[in-house]
Amino acid sequence: MTTTTLTFPGTVHQLENGLTVVHQHMPATPVVVADVWVDAGAAQEPLEWLGMAHFLEHMVFKGTERLLPGMFDHTIETQGGFSNAATSHDYAHFYMAVAADALPTTLPHLADLVLHAAIPADEFVRERQVVLEEIRQAHDDPDWVGFQALSEQVFPDHAYGRPVLGTAEILAQRSPEEMRSFHQRHYQPDNMTVVIAGGTPLEPTLDMVRHAFRAFPTPPTTTPAVVPGKVDSWWGVRRQVLRIPRLEHARLTMAWLGPGIDDLDAACGMDILSALLAEGRSARLVRELREERQWVLDISSSFSLQRDCSLFTLQAWLAPDAVDAVEALICERLSTLAVQTVPTAELERAKRLLTNDFAFSTETPGQLAGLYGYYSVVANAADSYSYPDRIRAHTPASITSLVQTYLSTNAYASTVLLPTT
Amino acid sequence: MTLSSPTKRPALHRTVLGNGLTVLVIENAVADIVSARLLIKAGTGREARSQAGLFSLLASLLTKGTRHFSSMDIAEQVESVGASVGTDASVDYSLVSLKTVTADFEAILALVAEMVRYPSFPEAEFDLERHLTLQSLRSMKEQPFTLAFNALRAAMYGEHPYGLPGIGTEESVANLTRDDLEQAHQTFFRPDNCIMVVSGRIQPEPAIALTERYLGDWTAPDTAIPATRYPPVPTTATHVVIPQPTNQSILVLGYPTPAVHDPAYAVLKLLSTYLGNGLSSRLFVELREKRGLAYDVSAFYPTRLSHSQFVAHMGTAPENQAIALQGLRNEIERLGQEPLTKDELEATKNKLLGQYALGKQTNAQLGQLLGWYEVLGLGVEFDQVFQDTIRSITADQALAVGKRYFRDPFTVVLGPDLANG
Repeated sequence: MTTTTLTFPGTVHQLENGLTVVHQHMPATPVVVADVWVDAGAAQEPLEWLGMAHFLEHMVFKGTERLLPGMFDHTIETQGGFSNAATSHDYAHFYMAVAADALPTTLPHLADLVLHAAIPADEFVRERQVVLEEIRQAHDDPDWVGFQALSEQVFPDHAYGRPVLGTAEILAQRSPEEMRSFHQRHYQPDNMTVVIAGGTPLEPTLDMVRHAFRAFPTPPTTTPAVVPGKVDSWWGVRRQVLRIPRLEHARLTMAWLGPGIDDLDAACGMDILSALLAEGRSARLVRELREERQWVLDISSSFSLQRDCSLFTLQAWLAPDAVDAVEALICERLSTLAVQTVPTAELERAKRLLTNDFAFSTETPGQLAGLYGYYSVVANAADSYSYPDRIRAHTPASITSLVQTYLSTNAYASTVLLPTT
Repeated sequence: MTLSSPTKRPALHRTVLGNGLTVLVIENAVADIVSARLLIKAGTGREARSQAGLFSLLASLLTKGTRHFSSMDIAEQVESVGASVGTDASVDYSLVSLKTVTADFEAILALVAEMVRYPSFPEAEFDLERHLTLQSLRSMKEQPFTLAFNALRAAMYGEHPYGLPGIGTEESVANLTRDDLEQAHQTFFRPDNCIMVVSGRIQPEPAIALTERYLGDWTAPDTAIPATRYPPVPTTATHVVIPQPTNQSILVLGYPTPAVHDPAYAVLKLLSTYLGNGLSSRLFVELREKRGLAYDVSAFYPTRLSHSQFVAHMGTAPENQAIALQGLRNEIERLGQEPLTKDELEATKNKLLGQYALGKQTNAQLGQLLGWYEVLGLGVEFDQVFQDTIRSITADQALAVGKRYFRDPFTVVLGPDLANG
């Protein structure tokens, strides 16, 4: 197996006003993606403003003094590009993809939207209806319902345990003034990263960003205190069973707290564990539970790196009467993994899967902008490219130690979804 | 310039091997990746109703055993080098795709060739996959949109094979046998019925030589490939009501529209872009942005060899379902009553061509599109022909097509309290 050390192909710059800019020139592509990441996700909300960060993401597209609602989308899309946005606990981000030579005329508009959202009162009321539809739709999705329940169980005292969408009751009480205050407080240069990737060289791009992102809102004097809360580990098994209407298959989700961004090596090791256990047909749990015993329809694993505390999950789709046996078997296999060294070939398989996945996911400007922006918010952009090296550095011993530290069968949460009938 | 303007394109080579296998090579050295796809010109549209789900099951069994390898051998070979191999059955074709770093391409190509040519359909694997398919059919009932869309398809297609879900029905899947799979494989999996597309960091000569090495001695049987014969589709629109205790009502409506070879094809693609694609689309602006009736609202017009359908859908609060359904119809049928303005027409062309370009950014995306055009009998030239045709569409043409097709939709409404709706 050949090993190449990847160096970060982009550059990171800090402008005079504190704004971080990440740039990568991809000369072969005619496309540019601009992606603005703001450290203003749901974890920055005061408790009584639950859902504000996400609602604001909608309102950003409702225009500014200079841009009427819908004008930005219309301009971008009629030039053949597209734009969109997303909000999570750790961030909100706003992005567009355009032809490279359209960047100088469109970037100022994106900046205007993000920095100077007007949040008109009539649009606020109307858009709230849209967000309520989004909430209704989410509640019709059993996997969303299950994940929310699990998050509450794992993070009872932290924003990560609360729904990013908020609730209808709380949204009904919010005002445009409160939203403006939230916006002004958080949409500040030292809270933001602008990523530009694609067919545009560095110097003119930096000038464009410097010019477009020069006038920030004045921070408000008072806003409610922000307390993301604390994450506590626990001893024992936190287990809940939910009855869900219209459910055809039961779900079992088991979750553990993982390492945070202060330990990226360990975090990468958790990705290896995730791949070892449930990525592909030859992974341990897939092979045994799906292919051999046929106890599950499917089983998957995920590790999500978050700023305050990451989350490791195993999820199985199965018959209701198989839940207990599967949970017990998973515990048994994890206990084994904590004492028996992983064979080298198996470890190598997982490493190659992950390093190749990394290569496969850095093909387009949009993929790169997402990768850099995410790392920039939770860690820093250049760390993204240390991923393959960190993966390769793991040994059977380091993996065993991670299992012992993080995947205890005496301390985890499990959420079970069962049909109502 | 917009994204629709001609830009530097990766070089394309097309050749046909002695056994009738069409080979496309798209050389693109940007990343150390090779993506290859074998498209077989037969999909679920070839199934008798009693055998619905046949091609889907056949596709999943391809990776589960050959004359030389067991299911686990195959999984291990692929996963140990961190490659990905996928199979899929679509309405008009079946697909085997692979993605590797360049160095592993030959080994995985050799394996894929073995899978495609010599599948063994092991009894136990057949039983497992059929069982999992039956479970997936049950999963579909958990998703309100899927349920509503399946009902629309059934209503619009009647006895036509496009009328059933690609994975079949509980009844048809339960009756499928290994013999059915072998029969279909023998009939349709032959070199003169396949397109091989190789794209990525590889030059045409080695790509063609490798294809020749592993697929060149694959011989086509003397028999002719059976001609397709489709039953007529229903001509009288219906309205289907599905009571479900959901939070949102789902509205889906469909207008019967022609296939890819019809002159109206490009116009309908343009109209679906105008109505349903992106944040500036007509349905999004009118029904979501101005009236707050939905979170998700869009339209699509799939590319089909036989009859297609023009579908619009949205989710809305149950109390709004009547007004929302009327709103959807009005916006669509308006296109048969008043012409698009010059600005609307130009803007939509730019949007469609730009998004078309953005859909061809990765090796896999570009390879898929060109391979599909070969399957449809349009040839790789259609990539250019389609874009030229879009540019030439006039407002009068669009109006005539709107008038002809947007008249009497099939509708499905799924939601609570339907007695009052």
